[in-house]
Amino acid sequence: MIAILIDGIVQGLQLSLMAVGITLIYGLGGVLNLAHGQFAVVGGIAAALCLEAGVNPLVACAIGILSAGAFGLAVDRTLLLPAYRSAGEERLLLGLLITLGLSFVVNGYLDYKFPNISLTLKLPTPSFEVGGITVRTASALAASIAIVAFVLLFAFLKGTLLGKVIRSIIQNEVGAGLCGINPGRIRTLIVTLSAMMAGLGGVVQGLFSSLGTEMGNELTSFALIVAVVGGVRSVNGTLAAGVLLGIVNAFASYYVGAYLTLIILLGTAVFTILLRPEGLFASRT
Amino acid sequence: MKANRYLAEYVTSIVVAVVLALVPLGLGGSAHYLRIGTLMLIYTAYAVAFNIIFGHTRQLFLCVGALAGTAGYISVLMVTKMGWSPWATIPVGILSAAILGGVFSYVSVRRGLGVIFVGIVTLVFSMIFHNLILGLRTLTNGETGIDTKGLGPAVLEPGLGSYYVILGVLMVSLAIYHLLMRSRAGTAFRAIADDEFAAELAGIDVTMYKVLAASVGSALVGAVGAVYAYYGGFINPTVYALVSVDIVVLVTLLLGGMGTLLGPVLGGVLFTVLDEIVRPLGQLNVLVYGVLMIVLVVTFRHGLVSVLRKLIKVRIP
Repeated sequence: MIAILIDGIVQGLQLSLMAVGITLIYGLGGVLNLAHGQFAVVGGIAAALCLEAGVNPLVACAIGILSAGAFGLAVDRTLLLPAYRSAGEERLLLGLLITLGLSFVVNGYLDYKFPNISLTLKLPTPSFEVGGITVRTASALAASIAIVAFVLLFAFLKGTLLGKVIRSIIQNEVGAGLCGINPGRIRTLIVTLSAMMAGLGGVVQGLFSSLGTEMGNELTSFALIVAVVGGVRSVNGTLAAGVLLGIVNAFASYYVGAYLTLIILLGTAVFTILLRPEGLFASRT
Repeated sequence: MKANRYLAEYVTSIVVAVVLALVPLGLGGSAHYLRIGTLMLIYTAYAVAFNIIFGHTRQLFLCVGALAGTAGYISVLMVTKMGWSPWATIPVGILSAAILGGVFSYVSVRRGLGVIFVGIVTLVFSMIFHNLILGLRTLTNGETGIDTKGLGPAVLEPGLGSYYVILGVLMVSLAIYHLLMRSRAGTAFRAIADDEFAAELAGIDVTMYKVLAASVGSALVGAVGAVYAYYGGFINPTVYALVSVDIVVLVTLLLGGMGTLLGPVLGGVLFTVLDEIVRPLGQLNVLVYGVLMIVLVVTFRHGLVSVLRKLIKVRIP
């Protein structure tokens, strides 16, 4: 029981790492990023390529995360510009379709170029025991990485002036602009940061099992479900929803099997949109 | 003047019918190209239906494949498990697709969901559908799919006959599209596409017309999906997957021009030609679709029809 619970929490934290990027990009840029899983895959594959070239694993992971960030930066400065130029529904639609197209470009390219590469990180000690429960080192490490990342993110959003600026844009872009904030530059920063967090999520996935080129869509859908259930404008909500859905996922997979679990998760997302479009745990960011 | 009001529509429809009917003659009896031609008609018909839903009332249904699959699977399963005639089960499939589409639309309008949330809800429905088909292995054979050879009406066995039957389905879709657009509903759709709020203020029942567009569109999608189930010889989740239906239909519609009669047809023909050109690239064709989609969305949002309208000063519907 406790083992399943821990498993669920760890998985949930990893999902949140991915989902928080979708939340931030949607909240700030008004773009629903359907290529978010692909950001993670780009990071993971870059790390895998470095590992294959004999680079130290830690450095390889850092390179992977940085490449995901660089990819996000490039996408923000080029592909998303037409979306940012329009407003309202038009921007949402453009952003959605552009990132959907981007996800196919990334999938097609990676499948073609690196069909057999996947990221698998092996740890020296596979598991250890705490109070009679066997804990996988990978899970413990993944959980601590995710928690550190979230603490840093919250400290950044709540504690710094820049974080305040970001929250103000999420609340009201026009109002923030009137106060002399340049939303464009902040947006670039946030997209890059989100892409890096996605890259981190990809590396963590490699820690758990393995990350292949074909996993982009799967990661995107899970992240999307979490972001929707948590409320696509609320960072706190995303974290809570990630952990909750992770736990649900772990227990349901154990008791009713993988395929029903996915349907339960998807159903939760639909009902959240229909019953509480602002998210289950909507509160201020 | 009144008599000529729809002249352009009629002429275009007749030209489309004649040109497409002559296509098999130009293929010189090659079974391979005849199959590609038939698939072109199927995707064009999907695009005509999607045009009513997305092109006219801005409801982003990312579940065209899933709706088609619902109709296809229901129809085939009722034939194999209950021994009904396909003539009876195809309408059941169509009806279920129409009801599903109508419900999505009604709920979305009632809850005031923006275009993006309609997209998410229907995308999630696509995933649920896909997983159900994979999961209900005893009923659907999962990924292996169901063999439909010899189950359906004999006219739908691959060959020249089925090409014309499916061309008939496409022409009926175009006719329904035209009838819808020239009626009160068409006026309402145009008002809704321009400005939903203003349309509501002008006394148009936005909910009713959006649901109408979604149900009619979904019914047409279901009809094509059910016919395809028997034509293809087998059905499996890939036949109705998001990647193999929705993306193609979206690109087709964007290429041809949203909200036009001729757009989906032009888009369908052009997409098929493009697809044949990139086929030798193998894996890379996914990349080509992605690039095409981005380029179309960013620079070519009004499609071929609007370019043609500017080039030649003839009214193209």
